[in-house]
Amino acid sequence: MSADAESRWPAVARDYVQAIADTKLLLGQRYGEWMLKGPNLEDDISGASNGQDEIGQVRQLFRLLEKQGVDRDWLETDREPAEYANAQPLDEEAEAWPTFMVQVALSDRAAWLLLDAIRHEDFTGMVQKMGEDEYFHLEHHDARLETLAVDQPEAVEAALERYFPGILAFIGPATYGAGEDPLVEADFTDRAVAEIRGAFREHYVDLFAGTDVTVPALTDDVPDPDEWDEKRRRSGDGHIDQRVADQLQGVTNREYVIE
Amino acid sequence: MKYHVFTRNRSGDDMIHAGTVQADSDRLARIYAHRTYDEEDWDFMGVVREEDLLEVNEEPISSRGVA
Repeated sequence: MSADAESRWPAVARDYVQAIADTKLLLGQRYGEWMLKGPNLEDDISGASNGQDEIGQVRQLFRLLEKQGVDRDWLETDREPAEYANAQPLDEEAEAWPTFMVQVALSDRAAWLLLDAIRHEDFTGMVQKMGEDEYFHLEHHDARLETLAVDQPEAVEAALERYFPGILAFIGPATYGAGEDPLVEADFTDRAVAEIRGAFREHYVDLFAGTDVTVPALTDDVPDPDEWDEKRRRSGDGHIDQRVADQLQGVTNREYVIE
Repeated sequence: MKYHVFTRNRSGDDMIHAGTVQADSDRLARIYAHRTYDEEDWDFMGVVREEDLLEVNEEPISSRGVA
C-alpha cells in the first residue's frame, strides 16, 4: 500500500469531517449576524470571539479535507447551497435572542462532541487546541442558558423542541451503536453515535434541572435511519439560503477583492 | 450585576484593575471577563461583584469619651 493510500480516510470519514467543518462555517456566520444584536456588549464581544474561533477552525479542517482530495475551490467558493452539510438548525437565522442561544449552543456542542470523538492521528494536537477554544464557547452558552431558563423558560423550551430533531440528525441515527457505527469500525472515531446522543441530551437535562425547562426525549426514529442522509447528516433536502452561500463564498463583495 | 475584573502579569505582582463587566451570574462574569480582557498572557484573572467590595470609610473619631 502506498503512503498516500495509507493516509487516505474512508469516504464516510471525509463526509463526517465535512459536516463538522460546514457546521462550524455556519456557526461563524450566525455568530457574525448576532455580534451587534445581543442584549449587552459582553454578549456581543463573546459572540464575535466565538465566530472568529469557528472560522479559524474551519480553515484547519478545510486544509485536512483538501489533503484528502476535496477540491479547495469547491470547499470555499464554488458550491450550491444544497451542497453544504451543516447541522440543519443553522439553515436559518434565529429571530430572537433565546432562540439564537439555543440554536448555537446545541450546534456548537454537538460539533464539538463529534470532533472530540475523532482518534485519527491527523487530528492529534489540533483537536486539543480547538477544545481550548470550545471551552469558552460552551461555558458562555451554558451560563447564558442557565439565566434564560429562569427568565424565559417557555422560549428556551420552544427552541429546544424546534432544534433538537435537526441536531440529533447531525449527531447521527440511534442505530449507530457500539459495533454498528461505521466510523468506529473504521477506527476513525472512538465513541459511537448512540453514546454521543445520550451524553448530549444528558448534558442539557443536568443543565436545566430545577428549572421549568424540559429537554426533549431521545427517540430512536429521530432521525429515521431509512431517510437519513449520511453525507449531509440530516433528513430531507433543506439547505441554507443562496444569500448566505453568497456571503460565505465572498460573492457579495467580490468586486472589492484585492488581486 | 456589575463585576470588577482584576488581573496580574506575574505571580507576586500587584493586581491591576482591568475594567468591569455586566453579568447575570458569576459563571457569565468569568466568561465575559476572559473574552473582554484576555489580551495579555495573564498569570491570574479574577472577578468580584461590586456589591462585595468593602468601602473604606474615613470617619471622624467622636470627641466624646476621648481623653
